[in-house]
Amino acid sequence: MYYISAASTISHQPAFLNPGFSGMIEPLHAGSALINPDYKEYIEPGLLRRMSKILRMSVACSGACLKQGGIEHPDAIVVGTGLGCLLDTEKFLNHALTVKGLLPPTSFIQSTHNTMAGQISLSLGNHGYNMTHTQNSVSFENALLDAMLLIDEGEKHILAGAADEHIALLDEISKQLNVRSDSRFTSGASFFILSAEKSDQTLAGIKDAEAVGLVKNIPEQITAFLDRNNVSPEDLDLVLYAGSIVGTEDEEKGFQSFWKMENLHVINYLKYSGIYPTASAFALHFAVDKMQHTRSLKNILICNSLIQHNLGLILVQSVEA
Amino acid sequence: MSVRITGIGVVSAIGLSVQENLLALKESRTGIMPFSFLDDDKIFLAGAVKATNPVLKKESKTQSQFISRTTLLGLKAAREAYGNAKQHNQIRTGIISATSVGGMDQSEQFYNAYLDGTDADFAMLGTHDSGSTTERIAAELGISGYINTLSTACSSGANAIMLGARLLMQGKLDRVLVGGTDALTNFTVNGFRSLMIYDEQWCRPFDESREGLNLGEGAAFLLLENEKSIRFSGNRTLAFLNGWANAADAFHQTASSPEGKGATLAMQKAIEKSGISPSQISYINAHGTGTKNNDLSESVALTNVFGDQVPAFSSTKSFTGHTLAAAGAVEAVFSVLAIQNQLIYPNINFSTPITETGLEPVTILQAEKPVHAVLSNSFGFGGNNSSLVFSDHA
Amino acid sequence: MDDLKEELKRQLIEQLNLEEITPADIDDDTLLFSDKGLGLDSIDALELIVLLEKYHGIQVTKPEEGKEVFRSVNSMAEYILKRKG
Repeated sequence: MYYISAASTISHQPAFLNPGFSGMIEPLHAGSALINPDYKEYIEPGLLRRMSKILRMSVACSGACLKQGGIEHPDAIVVGTGLGCLLDTEKFLNHALTVKGLLPPTSFIQSTHNTMAGQISLSLGNHGYNMTHTQNSVSFENALLDAMLLIDEGEKHILAGAADEHIALLDEISKQLNVRSDSRFTSGASFFILSAEKSDQTLAGIKDAEAVGLVKNIPEQITAFLDRNNVSPEDLDLVLYAGSIVGTEDEEKGFQSFWKMENLHVINYLKYSGIYPTASAFALHFAVDKMQHTRSLKNILICNSLIQHNLGLILVQSVEA
Repeated sequence: MSVRITGIGVVSAIGLSVQENLLALKESRTGIMPFSFLDDDKIFLAGAVKATNPVLKKESKTQSQFISRTTLLGLKAAREAYGNAKQHNQIRTGIISATSVGGMDQSEQFYNAYLDGTDADFAMLGTHDSGSTTERIAAELGISGYINTLSTACSSGANAIMLGARLLMQGKLDRVLVGGTDALTNFTVNGFRSLMIYDEQWCRPFDESREGLNLGEGAAFLLLENEKSIRFSGNRTLAFLNGWANAADAFHQTASSPEGKGATLAMQKAIEKSGISPSQISYINAHGTGTKNNDLSESVALTNVFGDQVPAFSSTKSFTGHTLAAAGAVEAVFSVLAIQNQLIYPNINFSTPITETGLEPVTILQAEKPVHAVLSNSFGFGGNNSSLVFSDHA
Repeated sequence: MDDLKEELKRQLIEQLNLEEITPADIDDDTLLFSDKGLGLDSIDALELIVLLEKYHGIQVTKPEEGKEVFRSVNSMAEYILKRKG
């Protein structure tokens, strides 16, 4: 078991510094916007002035997470991002293709995917392991797996998280490509402290996680994952999902009929987070928060097939005090 | 603690295969030449791969309509490293690639059309995200399951190798193809120009007169296997990966610290992990980009780690240009070749040592001394520093 | 000259995204790269080179050249007048 000793999220939902948010939030409505905290509380003005949305979210969110966990220096910083720093990437791409003459360098510097992890290490003065994973819809799961591997190797506290930012072009792309969805594109960042040992701080545990690329048979993978962890479908108190596991129109029914459990509690987390490649990190915070406030929840499975050919699985378990 | 390397593949400005790269290294022949993009008349020096997209695409036999140059280069190197490896349900196989630009070459084409208001094909953007680059390579090789992409700027390739080794050591996988790929793009060329560290002349790593880097493009992959996998594959071990480390410089967004903190930590920890003593390092394949800042910082770090006994070192970026996320992997392949062929590569274009440190890289190919252990450095933007130690023994 | 200095202050704020600073906060001799002044860094220096080209048509080809030029608004204004002179 890997222990979560702190969790923090900045998103379209009022999750930031708001324990118990999972019990009070509503599905996102069409006009929702990113809820920005006062970034000045977390980031020096000299650094803040250059930062795009994703950088502000990441540095503030991870800062609050470390504070909550009472950890000054994590042993490692591991970040997942599906699309990276889109605002700065689009800005520099635009400049590079349209401006004749000298180009301002800031957006280029901040266009690389490792800017979040780099800025976090810079803001902390942290010299530890620093990594950025980018595997579209399973970027967060891959970051989480790296954090778990670091714990297996003997590290104590890992700062692991994910962030993605929305730009207007994404909406246009999805319209042009006829991507049909009930949910809309959003931005979000979630960070966690993953610890080797249980403590007073422990919020919940991660029993196991998996990221499967070019997955051939989603139901089979889920069954094998649960078997490996000695958990039967009947043990699951809640399934948080994105995308359809069996390719049916009614995704919720898909899960229930797959396990022949009509009363299985399933929630499409994208309705709450909106769509971004690392929304499963929001789902993990949502699960952890729910467990904190509903003691009867023992096992929550996060099942991410946001992109049909990739599958992310996270098994969250409650930890006895 | 060590991991076996049983396959290597590389595509760079100095060749389209391991053999071609080795020959150019032996002949001290650089691949950096005047270059311009098709839609632009600006000429600059770069290490372009001497193969066009249509040629690479035809050879790859891919069915994909849109495929980025980054993927095409990666696929070629990955195929060479993977060899005739067969899928086996008992052998858990993964792939970790590194890229910084992903499908940016395609995105640039799209964005140009988009800005012009001409018929931009939005489907082209399917290749933009870095992860899709790796997925495409995996799909062509028939790998599924553990598919991951790292993006830590110029240290990405080294980090992919390190993560692969860790997954084998922890028993998560039996065999993993690790490496990196990046194509030349307008985006990166303009980016390094905007930082005023793109040298308009041939780059001169570790030289007092250095003024910046020349970009290159390329890809390289290594196949790492555990004993179980080798029993199935029968592959010969080419060299061992003995040590690895990743440390953050945490100094500045782009610049390396003058005292080389992150670089020193990465080298020290990697050497310590390898169990090989610093005096046993035969050769250092330096990061050596040719920028004022990196080369000074790295030189200081070298003296921090080795004192006045700095081993023979050189930067092969004077051959290939800086291939960004591929660099760590390309130079890992060169490190394996150095061990296999007892070679220490020259640092082309060097004449005057850096005043502050006085360190002199190797300037003429050395083929007479045995090369048992090689340290390879990869340092990147955002303070991401990684070092790897390769050797001829477990 | 004073007009140029005021113009430079506005351009500095815009180019460097100095969100909480107004032209009145920058004196003509405020040290731009000192922590006692604006506390700018090497990335800002590159942005200032872009500023000189974009608004004043002046090219600086080596970052080191900028060191003296970018000491303060005074030195920037003097340099611009000299180059245009």
